Amino acid sequence: MDVLGIIFAALFANNFVLSQFLGICPFLGVSKKTNSALGMGLAVTAVMVITCVVTYPIYTFILKPLGIDYLNIIVFILVIASLVQILEMVLKKFSPGLYSSLGIYLPLVTTNCAILGIAKVVTATTTDLASAGFVFKNVVLGKWVEFGMAMSLGEAVLSGLFYGLGFTLAIVLLAGLRQKVDKLNVAKPLRGFPMTMITACFMAMAFYIFTLIG
Amino acid sequence: MNLLLFAGIGRDIQWASFGIAIAIMVGVALVMAGLIILISRFCQVKEDPRIKEVEQRLAGANCGACGHPGCAGFAKALVEGKATLDSCGQTDKEAQIEISNILGIALEGNAEPTIAVVACCGGSQCDDKYEYQGYGTCVSQNMLAGGRKACEVGCMGSGSCVDACPYMAIECYEGYAHIDPDICRSCGLCIQTCPKRLIKRVPKSAKVYIACSTECRGKDVMSKCKAGCIACGKCERTCPNGAIHLVNNVPIIDYSKCINCGKCLESCPRHCIKYVHPEDAVSAPEAKTDENK
Repeated sequence: MDVLGIIFAALFANNFVLSQFLGICPFLGVSKKTNSALGMGLAVTAVMVITCVVTYPIYTFILKPLGIDYLNIIVFILVIASLVQILEMVLKKFSPGLYSSLGIYLPLVTTNCAILGIAKVVTATTTDLASAGFVFKNVVLGKWVEFGMAMSLGEAVLSGLFYGLGFTLAIVLLAGLRQKVDKLNVAKPLRGFPMTMITACFMAMAFYIFTLIG
Repeated sequence: MNLLLFAGIGRDIQWASFGIAIAIMVGVALVMAGLIILISRFCQVKEDPRIKEVEQRLAGANCGACGHPGCAGFAKALVEGKATLDSCGQTDKEAQIEISNILGIALEGNAEPTIAVVACCGGSQCDDKYEYQGYGTCVSQNMLAGGRKACEVGCMGSGSCVDACPYMAIECYEGYAHIDPDICRSCGLCIQTCPKRLIKRVPKSAKVYIACSTECRGKDVMSKCKAGCIACGKCERTCPNGAIHLVNNVPIIDYSKCINCGKCLESCPRHCIKYVHPEDAVSAPEAKTDENK
């Protein structure tokens, strides 16, 4: 599996927010200020990495061999929610500074669809991905990259990290745009939330270009 | 029966996989529950129970004017002794007493509740230096040669304070900002926002305030603003209790001496001493006739 392909796909071409429409709730809710947007993005990234590390072995070594992979969603939710809870407690105990900056976002992340999405992505098969509209292309060589169930643990963690960073990128960009747009003299009916939706729409259109590269 | 069959109920249930599914779910749930219990034992953080009690009694507006992240942050700072109750303008007296009982501290300096007033009434009566066409807030306007008003301390009426107020107590009309004294909770966010620093706190019991902040001489004011204070000193001479003094051409009311008689307001030739509660202006003449009787 091509590392660059994963990174490019996760950050731009298959950006969770702007191309897969996952994690829209925090994307719109926590993007008023760049600082809190960054905090939210990093919390999502951290939880995504943990999710990949945990759900991948559970799926490959427990659910799949026993033939009960149809339970994946419910098991993933259970495991992720508990792990985030544990992470929160550990942070509170050992790193109060980090807790005060990231801690408030962790409960929001727990059952976020972007988190469940990454769990589904790292355990999916090639056909699953193709039917879900995931298209991975190699930027450098310009050839199709095959994405099979045989995604290794390393690749899964890498995807988790960069899908999280892709989310961070999108939310921080939107927060920056929102701060500018709030100062503008926008027509009254469009002020506030409608303008945010329009901004997000234009961002999604801009990111669509990345799917055509390759 | 057909419907049931159609829905898949009544088909042979594969009991083995059913059992495995349940076993796996129970197993995962038990493992996670065990982990959480274990880790919560290890990672218990003792939080002062007083923080919660104090937080419940705070106003809960989360306005952030005290400089702490929300009321929860303020409660924590209070318990740790890093903040005083004075920095919260919202919590009422009873709650303040309860909080001071919880914390075992004496309530400091019986600070009288205050409200905010705008120390400018020029607005459209004050001349413009230039025509401003940029971003519509006072803050951005102030960056361009100190705003469009000819007066250096004139309200631009573009409503940065209106946006800042979490209670929607401020409105801009007649070219300057008006604060509704019944809604204002003196949180201080507008005071921090106003680029001209025109908004000031006065005691809630105060009846009148000086609605101008210019330190210019009378002649200069005359040329720029039809409503500005010209420092004639009439209010200072009229005040029966000596509560008003001119400092740097600005009259300042000492509210500890003010008896709310309203004579300064009547004497002011420029009408830049105003009632804090606009409805007083309507009822005032009646009160006067009562006195005469």
